[in-house]
Amino acid sequence: MNNEAFAALVDAHYAPLYRFALSLARNSSDAGDLVQQTFFIWATKGHGLRELSKAKSWLFTTLYREFLRGRRRDARATSIEDLPPADKELAAEDVDRVSRIDAALVMTALQTVDETFRAPLTLFYLEDMSYQEIAEALDVPIGTVMSRLSRGKSQLRMALERVESAGSKVLPFPDSKGASAS
Amino acid sequence: MTIEEAKFILSAFRPNGSDAGSATFCDALRMAGDDPLVKAWFAQSRAHDEAVAGKLRQVKPPEGLREAILAGVRVSDRRGGKGLGWGWIAGLAAAAALVIGFFSVRAPARPESGATALAGFAITDMVTERHGGTGEPASALVVGLQAKAGKMPSAEQIDFERLRDTGCRTLNFAGHDVLEVCFSREGAEYHFYVTRRDGPLGNSVTKGPTFVAEAAGAAAVWSDTRFDYALATTAGVEALRRLL
Repeated sequence: MNNEAFAALVDAHYAPLYRFALSLARNSSDAGDLVQQTFFIWATKGHGLRELSKAKSWLFTTLYREFLRGRRRDARATSIEDLPPADKELAAEDVDRVSRIDAALVMTALQTVDETFRAPLTLFYLEDMSYQEIAEALDVPIGTVMSRLSRGKSQLRMALERVESAGSKVLPFPDSKGASAS
Repeated sequence: MTIEEAKFILSAFRPNGSDAGSATFCDALRMAGDDPLVKAWFAQSRAHDEAVAGKLRQVKPPEGLREAILAGVRVSDRRGGKGLGWGWIAGLAAAAALVIGFFSVRAPARPESGATALAGFAITDMVTERHGGTGEPASALVVGLQAKAGKMPSAEQIDFERLRDTGCRTLNFAGHDVLEVCFSREGAEYHFYVTRRDGPLGNSVTKGPTFVAEAAGAAAVWSDTRFDYALATTAGVEALRRLL
């Protein structure tokens, strides 16, 4: 792949990839690293992909795998069976709430959704991928994607409510008596 | 199909309507047209989804990310792309972005190359990233750093592995872990970085503080027997001197 084609590929996908990475990694630094790493892997391996039309799915899949590889697996090994049932029904005020708060806080709320639901939910909201493509990217059955979307949306609505009531003051160390470790 | 089944399926219907032609949604969409309860729920659900998707589209990648991606791949091409940790490539790319993006100003001292690399890494990270971290040890470290008139911690006060393993923000520089916490003192914000002495820079960082100033910020770099340290701020070199 020549430089122009690679640059075009980057231009087409780096922003949604970054948004996906930011929702997973929950900080801009790691998100940027993940996106760079994904394109680096593409440059060294992925450009051999015969069908360029599959580049988008390949990039999202690779980024997700890199995220899973990089994080400490014991940190959040919650299985879906262990998770509490989602019980936040959709209400008209939920729609108004999203309109009221800014994009950064919506991302903050999304980042608090359990990782099991967060990955498919973010891909869904990026609107680039169908539920079948999300299932392929995350390597889960289609029914599982639908289930996680349904429950993830409920978690997100609760998170948005919390974020709005907390205002813009998001403290990384709630127990640190005012200290912040970055 | 029950109402709950229809809602379940329609939860996967993208708000931009891209799935309108998919057979999977056919029956559920028909129900959303016929059943007033499902219809009302679906309208509200799509409105909510559209709002969230719209907000996410407003989240912009950090400035310089695109250039860093392209530069990183070019660097790896030149170096053969083998035997290099990704962090080193990213560090080079970030350094390149810094060079491109910011005017350098005269440094108060002529730093050695290792100090320059670590300082550049710290300044780049400080100005381009949103930071975060967790863990009681990291919080305790921040409390110490924020203490008025407190000095920078020394090797005995830093349990590198415990900090890293309990959630302190950990970066990768040339394939080695670098811990970072940020703190404020006297109205200025600082970023404190620590990496092992046997890490990426070897013994190239001198013991005493070396100051590096860029238009984007300033950093001081020093070392002790076990660690290399960097302290970065946008408040200038004098603010760094006051803490060291």
